[in-house]
Amino acid sequence: MSLFRTTTTLIVTLMLSQLNRAAEVDFSHQIVPLLRKHCADCHTGDKKKGGFSINDREALLEGSENGAVIDLKKPDASLLLEVVATADEDLRMPPKGDGLSSVEVSLLKQWITEGLPWEKGFAFKAPAYEPPLAPRKVELPPSKDGRNHPVDRLITAYFADRNLSWPEPLGDEAFLRRAHLDLIGLLPSSEERAAFLADPKADKRARLVEALLAREVDYTEHWLTFWNDLLRNDYGGTGFITGGRKQVSKWLYDALVTNMAFDQFARELIAPPTGESRGFIDGIKWRGDVSAGQTVEIQFAQSVGQSFLGINLKCASCHDSFIDRWKLGEAYGLAAIYSERPLEIHRCDKPIGETAKASWLFPELGNVNPSAPQKERLHQLAGLLTHPENGRFTRTLVNRLWHRLMGRGIVHPLDAMQTEPWNADLLDFLAEDFQTHGYDIKRTLSLIATSQIYSAKAEVVEPDTANATRFVFAAPRAKRMTAEQFIDSVWQITGAAPGRFDAPVFRGKVDREAAAKIELGAEWIWGDSAADGKSPPGGERLLFVTNVKLDSDVKSGAAIVTCDNEFTLYLNGRSVVSSDNWENIVSVPLHEKLKAGNNQIAVVGTNGATAPNPAGLYFEARLDLEDGKTQVIRSDASWKWAPRTEPGKEGRLGAVPKNLKPVTLVKPVGPWQKVLRKQGPALLAQGDAASARMVRASLLKSDFLMRSLGRPNRDQIVSMRPNELTTLEAIDLANGAALAEALKIGAEQLSRRAWDSTQSLVSHLFHHALTRDPSAGELAAATDLLGDQPTPATIEDTLWAILMLPEFQLVR
Amino acid sequence: MQANEFDPKASPAIIRRDFLKRLAAAGTAAWMTGEPRAIWAKSGEMVTHPPAKADACILLWMAGGMAAPDTFDPKRYEPFKKGLEVSRMLSTFPAIDTAVDGLKICAGLENIAQVMDRATLIRSAVQPDLGSILHSRHQYHWHTGYVPPQTVAAPHIGAWMAKVLGPRKDVMPAFINIGQRLEGIGESEELKAFTTAGFFGSEFGPMNLPFPEEAATSVKPPKGMDAGRFASRDRLFRKLVDQSPQRDFMSDYQQQSMLRSLDNAYRLLSSKEREAFDITLEPKEVQQKYDTGRFGRGCLLARRLIEAGARFVEVTTEYVPFLYWDTHKSGHDTVDGLHKEIDLPIATLVRDLEERGMLERTLIIIASEFSRDAIMEGKPGSTANDQATFKVDKVEEPAHYGLHRHFTGGTSVVMFGGGVKKGHIHGQTADERPLIAVKDPVSIMDLHATIMTAMGISPKTEFEIEGRPFYVTEDGLGKPVEAIFA
Repeated sequence: MSLFRTTTTLIVTLMLSQLNRAAEVDFSHQIVPLLRKHCADCHTGDKKKGGFSINDREALLEGSENGAVIDLKKPDASLLLEVVATADEDLRMPPKGDGLSSVEVSLLKQWITEGLPWEKGFAFKAPAYEPPLAPRKVELPPSKDGRNHPVDRLITAYFADRNLSWPEPLGDEAFLRRAHLDLIGLLPSSEERAAFLADPKADKRARLVEALLAREVDYTEHWLTFWNDLLRNDYGGTGFITGGRKQVSKWLYDALVTNMAFDQFARELIAPPTGESRGFIDGIKWRGDVSAGQTVEIQFAQSVGQSFLGINLKCASCHDSFIDRWKLGEAYGLAAIYSERPLEIHRCDKPIGETAKASWLFPELGNVNPSAPQKERLHQLAGLLTHPENGRFTRTLVNRLWHRLMGRGIVHPLDAMQTEPWNADLLDFLAEDFQTHGYDIKRTLSLIATSQIYSAKAEVVEPDTANATRFVFAAPRAKRMTAEQFIDSVWQITGAAPGRFDAPVFRGKVDREAAAKIELGAEWIWGDSAADGKSPPGGERLLFVTNVKLDSDVKSGAAIVTCDNEFTLYLNGRSVVSSDNWENIVSVPLHEKLKAGNNQIAVVGTNGATAPNPAGLYFEARLDLEDGKTQVIRSDASWKWAPRTEPGKEGRLGAVPKNLKPVTLVKPVGPWQKVLRKQGPALLAQGDAASARMVRASLLKSDFLMRSLGRPNRDQIVSMRPNELTTLEAIDLANGAALAEALKIGAEQLSRRAWDSTQSLVSHLFHHALTRDPSAGELAAATDLLGDQPTPATIEDTLWAILMLPEFQLVR
Repeated sequence: MQANEFDPKASPAIIRRDFLKRLAAAGTAAWMTGEPRAIWAKSGEMVTHPPAKADACILLWMAGGMAAPDTFDPKRYEPFKKGLEVSRMLSTFPAIDTAVDGLKICAGLENIAQVMDRATLIRSAVQPDLGSILHSRHQYHWHTGYVPPQTVAAPHIGAWMAKVLGPRKDVMPAFINIGQRLEGIGESEELKAFTTAGFFGSEFGPMNLPFPEEAATSVKPPKGMDAGRFASRDRLFRKLVDQSPQRDFMSDYQQQSMLRSLDNAYRLLSSKEREAFDITLEPKEVQQKYDTGRFGRGCLLARRLIEAGARFVEVTTEYVPFLYWDTHKSGHDTVDGLHKEIDLPIATLVRDLEERGMLERTLIIIASEFSRDAIMEGKPGSTANDQATFKVDKVEEPAHYGLHRHFTGGTSVVMFGGGVKKGHIHGQTADERPLIAVKDPVSIMDLHATIMTAMGISPKTEFEIEGRPFYVTEDGLGKPVEAIFA
């Protein structure tokens, strides 16, 4: 019963209150207004300043972060009375205004003395929205206006309820650009644009979506960014220095390239079948003491909660959350599933004398057995997380996918899944569809991307709409390009992508059969100092050379190289790759580096340390030539060596001495062979896949430009990157060396091509960068700068001006 | 290059007007805000900022652990002598007089000694030892007020000032960080973790200028691009914006915000303030006073940037593991070199700002993540691992002579200007080991509350992140050390 439901109630209450005034305090007319006036701003609804809520009697009795505030046995000792009556300005409640009058204080006191009478059912504000847990099969509204797609039927009904009109459809070109960037993170090429525009069939958009999702490597290397952010995985950074952190890169790449079902994906991260997916649950182990809220166990609870359930347990891992329903004990229960030691519960960094008992957040689905060993507990958790009745798991993920494609979550922010969705039917439909189709991520992406609403023009968000507290869905929203999308796009246009990458992954699916067939056959080599099994001196630097004649150009192929301790490989006099970690065998694509005719392969190898220690170089390459032949190049007795003192200048080998001597074959030490056998065959087999592909920014360690374009430091999980370009970032775009260099390379290449006219060059740039023709005005402006004879400098400046356009930097 | 080559008026007026007109609707960017603002906390409570005593702040960061007994808190001096017992070593430099009666600092800092009558010297700063000394964690703590790891990316104190106060002149970046390389050195990822605006977003993050002598290039057009070309490139960009067929997006807030940032960047790169980044424009004799190394040149750059309107500038001696103040061996000799590097530039910076009438409203802070001691790692009772290179009882060679352990029990912080007392000492450390703060200890939290209060920022200032409040001092509990304010 609500307090003021009917006039009758009101009158009766009034009468009663008058009758009883002398004897009893009147809750509804004396206490409620008092509490509303002085306390409600900070302690009702979802506001729990100091952990204290007066929403209902129960909450009031629960107290604050300072403990109970009401003492029913000794009313005078109640903290509540103390803080409202104190003269100490720093302690007094409420902190603002004149505070309670002495009459009000005595009313409160009387109320507590009388046992805190409360109108049954009354609450200052209904408790915050609590989302359903179970999946729900949504009955789709009927099709209207020829919109049969389930997502469109739901959106049509949503628009109809709100008298909103359907947004305008996107043209083919804009759709092509949006779908490319959203699904594989790359711009469509001029050729892809032309082909798509020429396709007359009505279903070409749906076919495009399918075709893009089928580009396994492109898809993987785009979504790697999303998952690295969400799983806080990176190729370098905090924690790696002290060995307190492990990557899941290779596992993740393989999971994406094979489109692993998401329930299995989650299970392999939570209960890792091998070491390769352990990094997520192990978190970051810091050297020294950390606060109780940041132990690896608590990190585990926070990561699992945030990444997979959209639950922010950061508050609850220190004290009962003030912003949602999660409690300290629940955060610790989840942490205890992972913990291999008795986990003492700490409240705000102080032990409370209780040990956490392993349990998970939704016991209504079952629970883990706290006395089972850790491995078993993790298995049980993985099972509960992916339980068919756990709709929170699927809703959280489909909401993230919707956000990536549509610019804003159905629940927003994404990691606050307790928030009410703007369309529960839509969220539940997508989640249920995802589950019934085998947790297939690509299926859900396809489902969203083939809807007409995905094909609609982006909403123009006026500043007041952007700041409105109530969100109304009107159309997809533009997304800012991620740092990786921006850089990949620049590399696509300029051809300035680097040749090597940092991610320890095989690009493409591992062809295990092909790898199994490869037998390595090269020898470990060194100079005279290794003769008769001697250990070469520390710091010795030698040059190794061989010459190879090829009958035709190289179609594909890779070399693997390693050297104890470090090396630089020069192909035809130019430095190709260096490494100072012999345990990581380096593979090099060779298709554009070796040519028909004579080729020189040279390696400068350096032995580490200062005292004599084993040294050796290993090189092996397999080439598929254009003429159909295959050729193998191996380090062996035919290679020659000379001492090398000078490092190369500007990446050039320089002159090779005349007096070369034959190399010494070195008997490999155990660890060399182990590393070689483990990595070598697969790397050589992978050569094919990697050689023809542009390196993607997602495969690189973060650098200055990527950081300034919003790639996060992955110490924390980040599910939403900043959507706006800042001035400091704009300065980097205006004069940063990395972008300037890429543009310079690209402009030089473009200037070498034969253009029919300046206009055709401008059209090419617009086609590639913006997937559209330039307008007459744009054409005139660009042609004006470029003149009749475009130079590398004017092309570079034109490129820059186009890349800076909001139209380029936003995915609309 | 001539200073006026980048006059923004060089842009065609018509295009510029049209371009900027579209920006006007969206109001002023956070970047451009000037005065301290009242902030509504999530609770609905109004945080009242104290009146500012300083408008600008320069943090002179002694990265790696500056030994107080060898700088600002001299103890019993033991000269180098073969066979000297390490446990006898308190200070390796003798004490010298300063401009303040009874205040002594270490030999080697003669120039700073002459300006100590403008300083407040806190000798009782303390830090937690965190169970293990890792410079990057202690530096993170000092720079953000929070012990890492944190569940959200904590903002640097410079980012707090940028966020709450903005730059003093709208064309200038608010937060500038001088002298620290963030690439290619040990622990660079750990340094990046606190050299950031964290959850505030990069708008409020540092402009990093690792080499003061190269700062001018960071606000110049790209290498090889002359002024005319830079302007014509920008002109084309503006034309393309105006000619875009996507007219309806002109009122889109995201597009407006992007154009505004690009416009801000162009304005800085073509502004007169840009000259502030170029230390070679100083008279030769001034340059010479500062030119003791990268740190010294950084002090000169900081002075120019503050004059031009930056809000917060940090100049570091640079943290590189085992270099500079991170003395694990040969401590005395290394510190001798560091004295030479910091002494004249710091004193000159104080005098220069004073001459310009800016010292009163500029808070200069000399600080470090902790102090050092010859034998004690952490503080009394600490379990931290001993990390000295030579674990010897007696000094046998110069490499053994110095303060090679990390000490968190008593550290010196020097402040000039910005409303602090002149010639004042706050707190005291023991005269014999352990050299812990024995009077008025000042925690990092309270030190931050003091700095923020001087800058006119309430220590209770909070912003909401992930639905919870995040305070400039942990839980809003920092209390300023009122005793040091004049």
